Amino acid sequence: MGQQCLRYQMQWEDLDEYQALTFLTRNEILCIHKTFLKLCPSQKHYKEATLTMDQVSSLPALRVNPFRDRICRVFSHNGVFSFEDVLGMASVFSEQACPSLKIEYAFRIYDFNENGFIDEEDLQKIVLRLLKSDDVSEDLLMDVTHHVLSESDLDNDNMLSFSEFEHAMAKSPDFMNSFRIHFWGC
Amino acid sequence: MSEGSAGDPGRGSSRQRATHPENMSLGSSCFSPSVNFLQELPSYRSVARRRTNIVSRDKQSGTLLKPTDSYSSQLDGGITENLDSQSIRKYALNISEKRRLRDIQETQMKYLSEWDQWKRYSSKSWKRFLEKAREMTAHLELWRKDIRSIEGKFGTGIQSYFSFLRFLVVLNLVIFLIIFMLVLLPILLTKYKITNSTFVFVPFKDMDIECTVYPISSPGLIYFYSFIIDLLSGTGFLEKTSLFYGHYTIDGVKFQNFTYDLPLAYLISTIAYLALSLLWIVKRSVEGFKINLIRSEEHFQSYCNKIFAGWDFCITNRSMAELKHSSLRYELRADLEEERIRQKIAERTSEETIRIYSLRLFLNCIVLAVLAACFYAIYLATTFSQEHMKKEINKMVFGENLLILYLPSIVITLANFITPIIFAKIIHYEDYSPGFEIRLTILRCVFMRLATICVLVFTLGSKITSCGDNPCELCGYNQKLYPCWETQVGQEMYKLMIFDFIIILAVTLFVDFPRKLLVTYCASSKLIQCWGQQEFAIPDNVLGIVYGQTICWIGAFFSPLLPAIATLKFIITFYVKELSLLHTCRPSPKQFRASNSNFFFLLVLLIGLCLAIIPLTISMSRIPSSKACGPFTNFNTTWEVIPQTVSTFPSSLQTLIHGVTSEAFAVPFFMIICLVMFYFIALAGAHKRVVVQLREQLSLESRDKRYLIQKLTEAQRDVRSQPA
Repeated sequence: MGQQCLRYQMQWEDLDEYQALTFLTRNEILCIHKTFLKLCPSQKHYKEATLTMDQVSSLPALRVNPFRDRICRVFSHNGVFSFEDVLGMASVFSEQACPSLKIEYAFRIYDFNENGFIDEEDLQKIVLRLLKSDDVSEDLLMDVTHHVLSESDLDNDNMLSFSEFEHAMAKSPDFMNSFRIHFWGC
Repeated sequence: MSEGSAGDPGRGSSRQRATHPENMSLGSSCFSPSVNFLQELPSYRSVARRRTNIVSRDKQSGTLLKPTDSYSSQLDGGITENLDSQSIRKYALNISEKRRLRDIQETQMKYLSEWDQWKRYSSKSWKRFLEKAREMTAHLELWRKDIRSIEGKFGTGIQSYFSFLRFLVVLNLVIFLIIFMLVLLPILLTKYKITNSTFVFVPFKDMDIECTVYPISSPGLIYFYSFIIDLLSGTGFLEKTSLFYGHYTIDGVKFQNFTYDLPLAYLISTIAYLALSLLWIVKRSVEGFKINLIRSEEHFQSYCNKIFAGWDFCITNRSMAELKHSSLRYELRADLEEERIRQKIAERTSEETIRIYSLRLFLNCIVLAVLAACFYAIYLATTFSQEHMKKEINKMVFGENLLILYLPSIVITLANFITPIIFAKIIHYEDYSPGFEIRLTILRCVFMRLATICVLVFTLGSKITSCGDNPCELCGYNQKLYPCWETQVGQEMYKLMIFDFIIILAVTLFVDFPRKLLVTYCASSKLIQCWGQQEFAIPDNVLGIVYGQTICWIGAFFSPLLPAIATLKFIITFYVKELSLLHTCRPSPKQFRASNSNFFFLLVLLIGLCLAIIPLTISMSRIPSSKACGPFTNFNTTWEVIPQTVSTFPSSLQTLIHGVTSEAFAVPFFMIICLVMFYFIALAGAHKRVVVQLREQLSLESRDKRYLIQKLTEAQRDVRSQPA
């Protein structure tokens, strides 16, 4: 069998428990289980095996995402992903997840310097990642940052706190639709 | 970096909390002092607590504790709040922590009374049942996999077009079911003698015998090409089938205990499907409407939306990702360009403004002239077609006959093809901002498309009600040319629908695929490479299917099986468009946003519905129904069924209905509605003012906070820099 994990079937109680604790459907959990088994390194039970951040970043679902490094940092523990970490990540990005959960994790992902606020520096990094171009003029960056802050910074401190971010995302029509991943290797 | 905090979900906040508050030397944290202070504020901490529901976690024991200062007061509230166990998924914790939280909740459950426990248990199982049911119905969703894969490959704008198409398929199916239940089923049950009922025909008393003459020519031998012509135009053998209005020549279906009133059922089914369509469209568009209201209140475009929700996380394809990056670049640059243009417009001098406005007036007159020319062409084509349709089949060549029959459809299609090009050229000179240009062009094209159908129907209506130069006195309509005018209107609608379907297939087969072949295999020719593969033009395609749906709505009264044909047509259109998209189109950098699109599609559909209701109401209430065919031979107009049915009700109900529909009720009702509306407008204005005041206050408070933090930082620095 080489490098593959021991093919432990998931117990029914575990499946039920994961269904109760996450927003994923039964099929999705089994799908992720299969993908995890293909990737995990050695002869370990799936509950003890871990994946590195690089392995998760190169999943097809995350491969082209400009924020994949942030996603991996937010959802991993001690720099590695256990099976439950992957499930937690999939749960947040699933279609059935509630808006408050998505907004919470979106805030953490977009907070590049992890100071609890999204400030101008974070916004510039976000815009650069989105445009993925080498010749973005300073003017464009400053303009866009200025517009975003003028729309959502309610207390004029040049940063977005979590409440302000939550308020802005509640009004955003595209947020729920775009903050979704539904291809986990099935 | 403290060891315990590397993997925390509440990382930013708990890291700071884990470090000792007094140990605030500049080396221990990498954030500015003001941010450190901000993270210690009670407001920040309570928000963080609310998000993760971990309240000061005790690292050593590993259990979740409540904050010790408010333990007792929160205990009672805390238990009931924590016990809503279905919402355990909503907590932003990882799975092992959720497990611990659930165990704590379950131990806390023991402290509840029996009744509460049973309530919690039953609500949990009910929610689980609902979830399973929702999962089941999600599997039944039509074309789920296809639409998902389109979304992954082409983005959410095009996906919303296909979702819209799916919505129309379901809508048409439901409309057909309504018509089937109310009209077709009793007839079928009687015809095949499944129930013990008979047809009842009550002849009208004093009706001119001339009005009841309905000559249908039934040729002895059916030539093949006359069969094709009949199939394509609804005449001949199709005319007497249940496809058209004329077939339903019975007055009532007599069941054992009661007589099923077919004319009333026919009218009710029409009203029902129009009302159902209206309600369903409004329900679907309420979401988008609210969002557009909120958005237009504050800013023209939402940069927040574009930055934070700009990336489609479900993109997995590398080329699609590149396309998304380029479309975001394009969009942001276009938005900033738009801002600049709007500023320029605001700075126009008065001379320039006058010049621009007079130019716009002139160009709008040209647009109106173009529209008038098209409408006149359709009028002429319809008149010509109607006059020459009655000639003998043998005397004409096959192609000529078909051309005459389809002349109105051809003219409409040509007009709909040429006018968008003209409009796109004209709008360049009108000097609007780019976003507004696009919207105005689309609006004009929408109006053009949908108004052409109305013009056709009104032309037919005028032909039907005119006998030579004077209004028809004998039967109220031109019974020589149109002995059964509803069937003939139904035939026109049927022809429009068939022709529209043929055009969709022909364009895909003869334009899209050859273009793709040319571009792939003639790589040498520069002209062809310049032309390039086509892009999937969403507005044109949406207008096409809204046009088809409007025809269906108008035609369903005159031809009850038309919704079924429309359902089949849309199903085939879905597959054809999907094939064309996947094999011949390249993704375009100018991408439609899904949220904008959904609202736009439903708005256009609503306009189509309103334009469909107008000819229907006029034909139902003004034009006398034909006396030679159809269920309404005993009534003056179609609408008369209702007053006649009301007159059979008990007298108290009758007086109630007369009271509700009289002016004495309508005028006070209207005044009350106006008052209620004014109240809500005033309330909204007051709320807006309060919001503005609160925002000003919020920014003042924040300034105070920053000032105090600055003072505190300075004071700390002074204390630390003083020698001990």
